[in-house]
Order: sequence, then C-alpha cells, then structure tokens
Amino acid sequence: MPNKRTSSLRLVAIWLGALAISLLGFYLLDHGIMSMQGLPLNLDLTPAQ
Amino acid sequence: MNIFSRVKLFALPLLLLLLGLVGVAWGADGAAPQLLRGDYPDIGISSRAVVWVLAQLHLFFGALILAVPLFVLVIEFLGIITGDQRYDEMAREFLKISLVGFTLTAIFGVILTIALFSLYPQLMGYLARVFDGQWLVYLGVFLLENIFLYAYYYSWNRLREGGQKWLHLGLGLMLNLSGVTIMILANAWVTFMMAPSGITTDGTVVGDIWDVMHGPLWHPMNLHRFIANIAFGGAVVGAYAAFKFLSSRDPVARAHYDWMGYTSNFIAILAFLPLPFAGYWLMAEIYAYSQQMGITAMGGILAWLFIVQAVLIGTILLAGNFYLWSGMSRSEGAARYQWLIKYIALVLVAGFLVWVTPHTLILTTAEQAALGGNYHKILGPLGIMPAKNIAVNLMLIATFLSFQLYRRADKVATVPWAGAGNALMTAIYLVAIANIIFVGVYYGYFTNTVYKVGSSVIQVASTLVVICSGIVIDSLMFRGAKKLPSHWGQVSDRSQYALFALPVAYTWLMGLMGYVRSSVKTHWHIYGVMKDNSPDNYIPTIGYAGNMITLVTVLFLLGLLFMFWIADRRIKA
Repeated sequence: MPNKRTSSLRLVAIWLGALAISLLGFYLLDHGIMSMQGLPLNLDLTPAQ
Repeated sequence: MNIFSRVKLFALPLLLLLLGLVGVAWGADGAAPQLLRGDYPDIGISSRAVVWVLAQLHLFFGALILAVPLFVLVIEFLGIITGDQRYDEMAREFLKISLVGFTLTAIFGVILTIALFSLYPQLMGYLARVFDGQWLVYLGVFLLENIFLYAYYYSWNRLREGGQKWLHLGLGLMLNLSGVTIMILANAWVTFMMAPSGITTDGTVVGDIWDVMHGPLWHPMNLHRFIANIAFGGAVVGAYAAFKFLSSRDPVARAHYDWMGYTSNFIAILAFLPLPFAGYWLMAEIYAYSQQMGITAMGGILAWLFIVQAVLIGTILLAGNFYLWSGMSRSEGAARYQWLIKYIALVLVAGFLVWVTPHTLILTTAEQAALGGNYHKILGPLGIMPAKNIAVNLMLIATFLSFQLYRRADKVATVPWAGAGNALMTAIYLVAIANIIFVGVYYGYFTNTVYKVGSSVIQVASTLVVICSGIVIDSLMFRGAKKLPSHWGQVSDRSQYALFALPVAYTWLMGLMGYVRSSVKTHWHIYGVMKDNSPDNYIPTIGYAGNMITLVTVLFLLGLLFMFWIADRRIKA
C-alpha cells in the first residue's frame, strides 16, 4: 500500500514541520523579548548576565 | 428631543463652566494649597463615601455609553458591507438600549460635580486652575457628543438608503471620536492626581497643559479603560438580550435575542482577552513611577483585593466559557469539538485555584507552628506572581480556544491546506503553553528578580501569538468554507444566566479595581504634592471597601433595570 504509506509519511512530515516552526518561533521570541529588555539569554536560554 | 434631554444637554456644561470659573478665581497663588482638617466642610457623613458612590455611578454609566456606540458603529458597518439588514436592526437596538444611559451619566455627572466642588472646594479649585483651558475643551466636546448622539440616533431611518448610509456612519464615527476624547480628557485628571506632571514639588504649574495631561500613567490608563469599557458594555447589553430571550415565547424573537446575546458575549470576551495585559502595563508604570505606590497596591493592605479580583475574573471566564460551550449546541458541527471542553474546564478551574491562592496569611503562633513556617511548602510558591502569571495566561489561552472552537463549530474548511493549518494551530497552542510554563517556572523561581519580571513579557507575548495566529489562520482557512446548519434560538435557558453573571461580575470588578487605583494615593489628594487632611485620609478596612463597592454595584444594577425598562417600552412603541 504505497499510497497509504506516502500519505502517512506526509502527515508526519506536516506535524513535525508545524512543531519545528512553532518551536523555532517561540525560541526566537524568548530571545528577542528578553534582549529588548536588556536581559540577554545564552543559546540554552539561561540568563547571560 | 424632550425637555429632559434639553436640560441634560446644557446642564452639565454650564455647571462645569461655572464651577471651573469659580475654581480659577479661587486659585490665587501658584503653589497647591496645604489644607488643615478645618478646611473641609463637615456634612455629618463621610464626604469620601458620598463622592465614592457618585463618582462610581457616573463612571459605570459613562463606561457603558462610551462602549455601546463603538460596537454599534462596527455592527452598522458590518451591515453595510454584508448587506444583511439584521445587523443594522441590531445596531439600532443596541443604541436604543443605551440611550437612557447618556441621560443617567449626565445626571450623575452634574451631582458629582456639585459634590466635589462643595465637599473639596480647595482641591477642585486647584485642579480647575491647573487644567485651566482643558475644562473648556471638555465642555465643547461634551456638547458635540450630545449633538452627534441625537443626530446619529434620529437620522437612522432618514439616512438609510445608498450613499446616505455612509453619511450616517460618519455621524456615528464623530459620536465615538467625541466620546473617546471625553474619556481621555477626564483620565488626565485622575492620572494627574496619582502621578502629577508639569508642576513643581509645591504644585506650581511650570509646564503647559500638555505637560500636565501627559503624565506617566495617562496612556496606560487610556488603553486600559478603553478596552475595559468595551468588555463592560458588551456584558451589559448581553444581559438585556438574555432577559428578552427568556421572557419571549415567539421563536423569531428568541432567535433574534439569542443572536444578540451571542454578539454581546463575543464583544465582551474578545475585549476581555487583552485586558490583563493593559492592566499589567498600567501596574508596571505605577511601579516605575513610585515603587511605594506599587507595593501599596500589590504587596500591602490592598494586596488582598487582588485575590477578590481573581475570584471575579475567574467568574467572568467561567461564565463566558460556559456560554460559549452551551452556544455550541446551536450548530450540528459542534460534536467534533465537544471532547475538548472537559480539558478546557480543567485548565480554567486549576488556573482559578492557583490565582486565588494567597501568599501571606495572617496566622496565630499555633497555626504557624502547625504549618512549619510562614508559608505552606506547596501552596506558598503558588501564592507569588510567577505561578499567577502562568495561571492567568493559560486561562486566557483556554478561553480563546473555546472561542475558536465556537467559531469553527458551524463550518468545515474546504481549502487544500486545512490539515497543515490545523497542525500549525495545534503546534502553536502546545508550544505556547509549554513556553509559558517553562519561563514561568524557570525564570520565576530559579533566576534573579530582573529576569523573573522580564520573563512575564514573554508569557504575555506567547498568549498574544496564540490569539493573533488563531485569528489569522482561521480567517484564511475558513474562507469559502462549507456552512453547517445553525439554529438560532435553540440554546438552553441555562446559558442565558451566564449572560446575567457577566455584567454583575464586571461591575463589581470595575468598582473594586477603581477603588484600588484611587487608594494607592494613600493620604494624598495629589500624590507627593497636596496632602489629604480630611477626616477620611486613610485607607479603609477591606470590609468597609467591600460594602461600599457592593452598594455601588447594586445601585448601578438597579439603574440598569430602569434603563432596560425604558428601552423595552421604547422598542415596543
């Protein structure tokens, strides 16, 4: 059943893609907002100061 | 226009002008007067209590008449662009309901002005001098608002056809612009008393009127009151719709008032969602202006009132959500989402419980020993701001989810990317919730205070991202969607009681937070400049404040019943 398999893979790819976009978006949001307040973060989100 | 309306139109401006001139003449020197106990008129009862009741009633009705024309304008505009006559009829009915509110606002405004100038003559004289020409602008705008109101209302049928409808909409716009201007001008008086600007420490005016008005709290207050008034107005007219729904047996009328109640709740909840953020900005500015003032509000005697605030906001959110869940029964497509409701309810109840958990308890020595210290080891951490920030943001997200499900209930998306859109929306919800909890716990409990405070902005932003992406994704995804049958009027009677709960909780909440805002000045008329030496120059007990707030709430609700009664007679006629 290649069609069903392709469809399932596509579904997984969509969900993983959506999750990846959201994770990246909120990660950048955290950095951006804290930097704007003069409170920079390290890459692992620990306080840089 | 009847004789009553004519009196209203001219009485308040003339009175204010007269009293303003008296105040200017009284002013004399540059510095603010420093008053002694004997300078205050003694009327046998508390002057503060008299002004408290009058000011709060004036503000309640003022908030209502500011908000209703705003959404009347938007609904009328919707009627024009959709060509659906029902919008136009509903907009006019909303305006009809609020019409008596304009008169009541003016009546309480006149009585309040007389009370203020009689009971606090030196203070009002000083304020009249400081705001000088602004009083005249206020009077002018007040007159304009009344002219636009009557022109807008009475020309509704005459300017109904073709291009004339746009002219009518223009009148509504002018009515709203003048209403908002009045609010902004009056806010400047209040914020000047809390955080004066444009004057020296002894009260001598050194700046122009813009410097005086443009204090640090002015803009946060403008935004907060503007949004709050819309939510409040939506809740009040929702109660009217619920009353009409329950009292009607005609299916057509029930369908109409069901739709009206839905629209009102839509406005009340949508405006309520960003409200905590506007409140947060106001409190942050209060702290920035005076840490002492901020601590008095949130860490001192007034802190317990924020627990009461949590109860009221919890009531609003539970009632608003319950109405949305009940309303989903109108649509045949709602069954797809009903499994989610129990989880939303769980988040709301858990968030509510965290929010009402107090931090500092008044304990006896024995209780303290039994507890093992001042704070309970589990409940203690839930009493501080990081936990409450998590709770409130999750409650708002849960409410938005109810709202989104309700909007989706009667539609099926037909765009080819609907699956991807849903995946993205779900991922945004999940990651936003994880982010809010993560930053709340990590920065709130394991880093320093600066990062703790800074991280609350991330939480606000995460909630706003969910709301904005939900609106954008849904508006794109459900363009040209398949509509499922929806049956207006087929909603449970039970749901309508939620629409009654909303205005009661909103009114009580506005009274409560108005009291907190005013009380943070403690023993100052004008903070740091002009001391209050009246017999009421202290923060009353929480019990006394609670009784006063309840009194004004009950009086307002009675006024509201009177307003509904008049509106009902007018609509029947």
